[in-house]
Amino acid sequence: MTATAHGVTYHPAVRPGTSAVVLDGLTKSFTRQRGWRAVVTRQARELVRALSDVSCEVRSGEFFGLLGENGAGKTTLFKILATLVTPDAGSATVAAFDVRREPNRVREILAPVIADERSLNWRLSARENMRLFASLHGLRGADATRRIDELLALVNLVDAADRLVNGFSSGMKQRLLVARTLLARPRVLLLDEPTRSLDPISARQFRTFLRNEIAVAQGCTVLLATHNAEEAFELCDRVGVLHRGRLVAVGTTSELAREVGEDRFALWVRPADQQAIDALVARGVIRDAKPFVTDEQGWSRIDCDLRGGAEGAAAVVAYLTHTGVSVSRCEPVKLSLADLLERVLARHGAGAASA
Amino acid sequence: MARGPPVHKVWALIRASWLAASSYRLGIIFSFGSLIVSVIPIFFITGALQSTMANVIRGQGGQYFAFLVVGLITLNIVSSTIYALPGGLQGATSTGTLEALLATPTSVNALLVGLSGYEVLFSLIRGAVMLIAAALLGARVEWAQMGASVPIIALVVLSHLPIAIVTAAMVLAFRTRGPLPQLVLLASTFLGGVYYPTTVIPGWLESLSAFIPLTYGLAALRAVLLEGRPILSVWREIGILMAITAGTLVLSVVAFRAALGYARRVGNLAQY
Repeated sequence: MTATAHGVTYHPAVRPGTSAVVLDGLTKSFTRQRGWRAVVTRQARELVRALSDVSCEVRSGEFFGLLGENGAGKTTLFKILATLVTPDAGSATVAAFDVRREPNRVREILAPVIADERSLNWRLSARENMRLFASLHGLRGADATRRIDELLALVNLVDAADRLVNGFSSGMKQRLLVARTLLARPRVLLLDEPTRSLDPISARQFRTFLRNEIAVAQGCTVLLATHNAEEAFELCDRVGVLHRGRLVAVGTTSELAREVGEDRFALWVRPADQQAIDALVARGVIRDAKPFVTDEQGWSRIDCDLRGGAEGAAAVVAYLTHTGVSVSRCEPVKLSLADLLERVLARHGAGAASA
Repeated sequence: MARGPPVHKVWALIRASWLAASSYRLGIIFSFGSLIVSVIPIFFITGALQSTMANVIRGQGGQYFAFLVVGLITLNIVSSTIYALPGGLQGATSTGTLEALLATPTSVNALLVGLSGYEVLFSLIRGAVMLIAAALLGARVEWAQMGASVPIIALVVLSHLPIAIVTAAMVLAFRTRGPLPQLVLLASTFLGGVYYPTTVIPGWLESLSAFIPLTYGLAALRAVLLEGRPILSVWREIGILMAITAGTLVLSVVAFRAALGYARRVGNLAQY
């Protein structure tokens, strides 16, 4: 049974405005593999905390990014939601169904896009891969054929539908993985670093596809795990930052970006007038100014946080020009994940960092 | 989303395995070709040993060639049954397919049967081809009894399924098959009556063969297929096979579910 709103079909349990995923104090530890010496000498098993008291809510229809470096706990969190790993403490519900108590109900609503291309059967055609999973999701006959055709068209693989997957490019395989996941009409999709094996152009196309076709056209709630801050900011409505198993920040993309450095700018000036910069810092217009880096033409680059966005930038350029400093360029700087984490952790205290 | 009947899911998994296997056409051709060729040396060796073996296999067809071919076919089916499931599980784990399969609303039982079904069915087809090849070379088989032999073969498969399930549980929890399948196959090969009837085994070893399901399976199969006796005449062997199957199947499913829970707790369910 499904409900329809604005042309989008929703699972009855996942309607706009309701909570798609709720995490409450979710905690998970794994035992670290011991070496032979440790086994022989009966050393105690060492526990590694993968998730620590993670609480968060993702609303239906939301594109939620989970940002964190390798080992931050993103995949563990996704595996718990996909019912592949049991949490030690806390709870996780998908459309109010508990992942531990009602895993079958959860699997009807939520689907992980397994980003590993090997999870496709390479000796089958794209259509046969789809047919297998259609059967496993209970789709048969004409319904299955129609749905498969529909999805292959959606991911632009109609022409390659009857070719063996082993001849596909990485981008085609990723699109097929998404199509395979959509067979069951899941209302919540988990995407774990879906662009990691794609070249920059394919990655951009894939991101556009995710946003336009999956989130907007299909109306899916999407949880995207990535260590690419740019990708998270481009796609997501809200972003959560995971660090060593702790959720250290959650906010709308614009809130988080502003908080951690949407106003980070790079200025190219000549001459490198430190006094002018110091004056701007003293007036509170700019802060966290990094030292000048000068190129062979004498232009010096200075990175700084700039208050007031584009208008603030215009004021700074006007001030510098007025003091006799030429400004050739002034542009926002995209933060790397490392910079972003550093800034988030600095704002949320050392406690988060040392968790 | 309808969950769908398990039989369709099992069939879909078997079909996919067949399509993948048959995409290696040369492999399929060699598989059957080697099978047919392997019957020829068996024919000559058993011919040379016929006079020696005639007395001891008198109640089981009397022809050593047919006796041995039936033994080897059944052993091959048993071997496929034991190794197909853990092998399928290992393959699915290492490629990442298992994670995708487990994320679908498919019962674990349907996945187990589906992942191993193709190998077992293929071994049955190979067995039929080998039997036909042997018959062409003169093996005396009661073809009218083929129908009666089907439930016996099914019971042989079912009685070894618990070994496969326990081995799969080991793979799931500890990423190793453990020694169980080799032990069972070794015991079945030498004490189950594959190459010679269990009556020629020394007394203390013969008592061990009473604990091996293949002993009863082969005795029943040869009586029906080579002697032409009615299936009811082997009710004792069938009863023992059913009892072994019922007892061990329940235990093995419990073990598998425990392994699944363990793998979910330690987080290695879909990791190789």
